[in-house]
Amino acid sequence: LNAAPERAPRQQVRFLPTPAPGGGGAVELVAASVPVLADHPLVRGPRFRKLKIGAGHRLDVKASGVFVLGIGHGNKLLTDLYNCHLTKVYTVDGLFGKATDDFSDTGNLVEKTTFDHITREKLERILAVIQGTNQKALLMYSNIDMKTQEAYELAVKGLIRPMGKSPPIITAIRCLQFALPEFQLEIHCLHETQQYLRKMVHEIGLELKSSAVCTQVRRTRDGVFTVDDALPRTQWNLQSIQEAIRNCQLKVEAELEKTLA
Amino acid sequence: RGFCVPAGPPSTRQLREAEEAAPVFQYAGKAAKRKDRVFVWGFSYSGALGIPSFVKPDAGWKKPRRIQPTPYRLETEDKISSAACGYGFTLLASNTRDITKVWGMGLNKDSQLGFQRSRRDQTKGYEYVLEPSPIPLPLEKPQQTRVLQVSCGRAHSLVLTDSEGVFTMGNNSYGQCGRKVVEDEIYSGSHLIHQLKEFDSRVVQVVCGQDHSLFRTKKGSVYACGWGADGQTGLGHYNITSVPTKLHGDIAGVNIIQVSSYGDCCLAVSDEGDVFGWGNSEYLQLASVTETTQVNVPRHLPFKIGKVKEAACGGTGNAVLTEEGNVFVWGYGILGKGPNLIETAEPEMIPPSLFGWSDFSPDTRVAHVRCGLSQFAALTNRGELFVWGKNVRGCLGTGRMEDQYFPWRVTVPGEVVDVACGVDHMVSMVRSF
Repeated sequence: LNAAPERAPRQQVRFLPTPAPGGGGAVELVAASVPVLADHPLVRGPRFRKLKIGAGHRLDVKASGVFVLGIGHGNKLLTDLYNCHLTKVYTVDGLFGKATDDFSDTGNLVEKTTFDHITREKLERILAVIQGTNQKALLMYSNIDMKTQEAYELAVKGLIRPMGKSPPIITAIRCLQFALPEFQLEIHCLHETQQYLRKMVHEIGLELKSSAVCTQVRRTRDGVFTVDDALPRTQWNLQSIQEAIRNCQLKVEAELEKTLA
Repeated sequence: RGFCVPAGPPSTRQLREAEEAAPVFQYAGKAAKRKDRVFVWGFSYSGALGIPSFVKPDAGWKKPRRIQPTPYRLETEDKISSAACGYGFTLLASNTRDITKVWGMGLNKDSQLGFQRSRRDQTKGYEYVLEPSPIPLPLEKPQQTRVLQVSCGRAHSLVLTDSEGVFTMGNNSYGQCGRKVVEDEIYSGSHLIHQLKEFDSRVVQVVCGQDHSLFRTKKGSVYACGWGADGQTGLGHYNITSVPTKLHGDIAGVNIIQVSSYGDCCLAVSDEGDVFGWGNSEYLQLASVTETTQVNVPRHLPFKIGKVKEAACGGTGNAVLTEEGNVFVWGYGILGKGPNLIETAEPEMIPPSLFGWSDFSPDTRVAHVRCGLSQFAALTNRGELFVWGKNVRGCLGTGRMEDQYFPWRVTVPGEVVDVACGVDHMVSMVRSF
């Protein structure tokens, strides 16, 4: 980063004494634009010595997916993005038939159950109930007086969201794939942790009178950042990062304006 | 020496073998059936919820519960196929061929639950029935007849059977039980259950208004009896009728597929999707066709909202459900479109996004609408129950005591199959997951 071409040094206007064109002795002051000495690379040294990097919403060791980082000025934008309370999208893979103590497939086995009575319809019914109860929680934690007309209008548009601290809320959940014993869910949520999602998979298993563990948690979207914007490990170099920052800038600004305005 | 070696952490192979050797538990077999349950909520001191410990606690630590704000399971032995809520009492009916087909609980001051013999005094009856008690019906073939439907009004109830007509019991001061009004009749502790059989064809639906009764027959005609001062009998006059008489007016010759009433206004839906109304119109329920406040002849309501599938009539507000699954409301009171909409004469649609419709689940639609006196309930095809309206003594079941101005989900542990709304309580039939 320090080897990249630098900004031109700042110019300043100074009045320099030059010998007068007339004769010897008399000194005139002529205005000239001169580079500021303090900006000279030999005086100042390398431009970047430390980089301030901050992280967005946490991602577990066992989970994968989109992880938002902010560099320098971006850290301030990170706090603003956090206050926007946008939903995150996860794809969660689960396996029926086992129950472990930390709800994932690498934990200590607690119980094994049969699962051949589970059908896709039953799973979708449970998902509908989960969505229903979370919808209620959404309305309750958003701290809007239910008796006002604006509450009604926001509820119609579906824009009611808790704008402060709240327990984890799932705004939408649906089943993407179902092949016994495995299944895959897409979950849109707010204020959650990945362990909460694993616990949700465990509870879905219990509700279906069987048991389930979570095999994979992958974040596919975090607010405005999707998997397409994210850089895979092979692209962790300066050019890709700079390009990615440029591409996302507009999106982030638009979102912040819309929500915090 | 090496005789006893400490165990050490288990290797992957040992873990896998231990896992495979673990016993497998079975909680539900392949043929696990979904159970049918009944949930009740609302005001309990009248006994209408059917749980005696709410009114008379049976354990020292229990306190009397005046209001049950969230759904509470009511244990019943049989599968309940039909339920109806009246003004402080409830009827539950099962489709069985056993001798006991109908149970009742709540107020019984006018024998609307039949005669419930008191255990303390064998000659008198109970005035408040606190748990579901069987109602003895005078059936000719008790082991063959099935009860199809029950309905409750203010102080009377109707039981519809498949082959023995309609049984009515309760208050008859306005002829709403379909028999001649007897001066100074004492209804409390009465054994009288009247049977009605003279209709043009088999009766397929019975509906109770506040003090009148409506019968819909298989041929599509509607009969009415009872109080008529608001024109709710639809017979062209404002007197009481004590014998079920056929209605004419705009519904003459029309095949009616559903009738609904709870207060003093009535709505009927024809097979072509038209809506007809008669009765009280003080709250703009019928203001789209007439300025008068009482309409005593069925009038066609020319609404351009599409083909109507089901109608529900409340005390001051009405709701209809169209074929596309949209709910339209009109009338007076809390109609479900926010606190600003208090009254309207033309139907207004409630946005489907309030019922759970979204881009994620675009095929969620409302399957049924029901009305209480000042509440509305809607059931979606996903088995969710939405309620809105005045929260009279906690009858909405939301867990809060405030009125609800837009549809709100009720958390019920199961898929809601049907719901019956009353004045201050509700009963729902639910299938477990």
